Amino acid sequence: MPRARVSRRVFLGTVGAAAALGALPGVGRAQGKEVRLGYILPVTGPLAFEAQLSLNGLQLAVDEINGVGGVKALGGAKLTLLPGDTQQKVELGNSEAARLIDQGVCALIGPFSSLVAYSVRQVTEKNKTPFMLLAAVADNLTEGGLRYVFRVQPNGKSMATLTMNNMFEMARAASAPVKRVAMMHEDGNFGTTMGNHVEAFAGKLGYALVQRIPYSLKSPDFTAELSKVKAAKPDLLVISGYYGDSKIIAETAAKLRIGVNALVGLANAAYSNPKFIADNRQLTDNLFDGNYWHNPQSPRARAVFAAYEKRFGSTLTSHGVQAYTVIYVLKDALERAASADRDKLRDALARTDLADHILPQDAIKFDDTGENVNATPALLQVQNGKAVVVGPARFAEAKPVFPVPKWHG
Amino acid sequence: MFSLDLLLQAVVSGVLLGGVYGLVASGLSLIFGVLRIINFAHGAVMMLAMYATYWLFTLLHVDPYLSILVTGPAFFLLGMLIQRVVIEPNRFAAEHNQLLLTLGLALFLENLALVLWQGDFRTVRPAYANASFTLGEALVEVPRLVACGGAVVMALALFGFLRLTDVGKAIRALAEEPEGAMLMGIDVGRIRAVAFGIGAGCVAVAGALVTPFFYVAPDVGESFNIMAFVVVVLGGMGNFVGALLGGFIVGLAESLGATALPGSLKQLVVFALFVLVLLFRPAGLFGGGRGR
Repeated sequence: MPRARVSRRVFLGTVGAAAALGALPGVGRAQGKEVRLGYILPVTGPLAFEAQLSLNGLQLAVDEINGVGGVKALGGAKLTLLPGDTQQKVELGNSEAARLIDQGVCALIGPFSSLVAYSVRQVTEKNKTPFMLLAAVADNLTEGGLRYVFRVQPNGKSMATLTMNNMFEMARAASAPVKRVAMMHEDGNFGTTMGNHVEAFAGKLGYALVQRIPYSLKSPDFTAELSKVKAAKPDLLVISGYYGDSKIIAETAAKLRIGVNALVGLANAAYSNPKFIADNRQLTDNLFDGNYWHNPQSPRARAVFAAYEKRFGSTLTSHGVQAYTVIYVLKDALERAASADRDKLRDALARTDLADHILPQDAIKFDDTGENVNATPALLQVQNGKAVVVGPARFAEAKPVFPVPKWHG
Repeated sequence: MFSLDLLLQAVVSGVLLGGVYGLVASGLSLIFGVLRIINFAHGAVMMLAMYATYWLFTLLHVDPYLSILVTGPAFFLLGMLIQRVVIEPNRFAAEHNQLLLTLGLALFLENLALVLWQGDFRTVRPAYANASFTLGEALVEVPRLVACGGAVVMALALFGFLRLTDVGKAIRALAEEPEGAMLMGIDVGRIRAVAFGIGAGCVAVAGALVTPFFYVAPDVGESFNIMAFVVVVLGGMGNFVGALLGGFIVGLAESLGATALPGSLKQLVVFALFVLVLLFRPAGLFGGGRGR
């Protein structure tokens, strides 16, 4: 699979050039022909691959917009992306954010890690710079009366509760109601947040959480845990985890004949990942996953997928979709603000009502805290080697298979 | 909810995993016994061996178990090379410096893997990867059984090697009494390299054995490395047989903990055991070994 990657050298070169440019005030700034957007992503380090997927999405949207005349309300100003590398470290997140703000970006995009985001939002708030969260999922990032933080994708709570909702609606429609739920999640911040929401939501949807098992990512064996799950006889097994652990859990569940109606990923890093599905055809058939996704019914989404594939030689992922969307949200706000002033941009962002997008939701609008009020995950199921949207019903591209006979065997 | 079936399953899973822990720890223990260094790069070497297994399988369609014939000797040589180039020149450095040295080596190897092969998770799934049978009500996965069996055979073979061959005796002599060994005309420099090589070879075999049921990624060695440290302390630093037995104890503690206790407390059981042993049997359950 050919992949456009930013090597460290090229990346550092770009940063260096950008820094040099920043040191010369007036160059490219005074002419009003450029709007600078900064990203802070873990471009190098263990999440480099995922960061690259987001970066591709940003670049695709920026080039699309620049190709058709830039920001019209600003006399056709072109969007420029200035790079920042967090390496997934809090202190680098802060310093890169401050550097980019010094270089005159009118908004920051990033930074993947909730921990980094939590800290960077102080920097953006102090400097009155809009901060578009990307991939950071922790609920508390928009808390605390901040004015400059915006999040397009669902936060942890929406992700968990709406996925359970989607699952329940589907189960009711299939006349196989869900009464008992078991949950396994990695014991870090991400998994624990998901686990807490699934537990708290039990009363509202009327299910019993019969097992909740946090586990260490590094654990090489889950047979004992899954045997406990099996003994609790749940209808659903919900799994929030990363790639390797989720894979071993699914494999072991299959061997144990776990006896549930479905295995459901919750923002799972593996179960709707095209590479995971391609590598594990036997295992992945009919796996469910509630995750960030695009709207398969949208003709525009199909065009974006084609453009991405053509340019980068790989399939657009949800990381790319989120990044792509964030650029268009910013572009829409810039047009309405008719200014690259950070405060005016912030006010325009707060009034966003963007219906033309590629997400599986109604118009993008932000509430007082900066959360997208209509943000929703898609419910996916792997069918014939591909993750397809099976819920919510109005965005679905295929009928769900439920209960899944294989997991019930 | 603590039924007999769950208990049986926990015992089976624990024993199967314990064998692998034991083999990883044996290599670590041997290196400690002879070189008196704690090799933090042990897990990273295992990771490299897993990548080697992966590439042999993917590019040349070599069965993971057969690939041991290649990776075992190759990593033996690699281990000797590492010892010669990196460890030996710092032999007289302060202990904490040697510790940092192996830690640095681990970081270097992990980041090298990240650069070369990205952070992707890769898997090797030969036809028998999903083979399993039940023992009573307990599930026995064939690849895990093979890994455990292979680990025990390998560890016993090594034990025999240390007991019966001249090189093995030289290794034990060096572990027991370095100066005496030197006075007896043993080429201690070479023996140190051989010991490190054997340690690397052990962990490479362990890597190949787990690949059919695990995944390969740059940080995969950590999963086994931390446990291996616990096992080594449990079995007695430098005690070779203790390492193998310690592996089974840790494997069992982990899976019984997972069955009996809620959530991620299973790790707690293992590390509690670790602390208890350090407090009450600092020389390990089976006595501090000098190449026993």
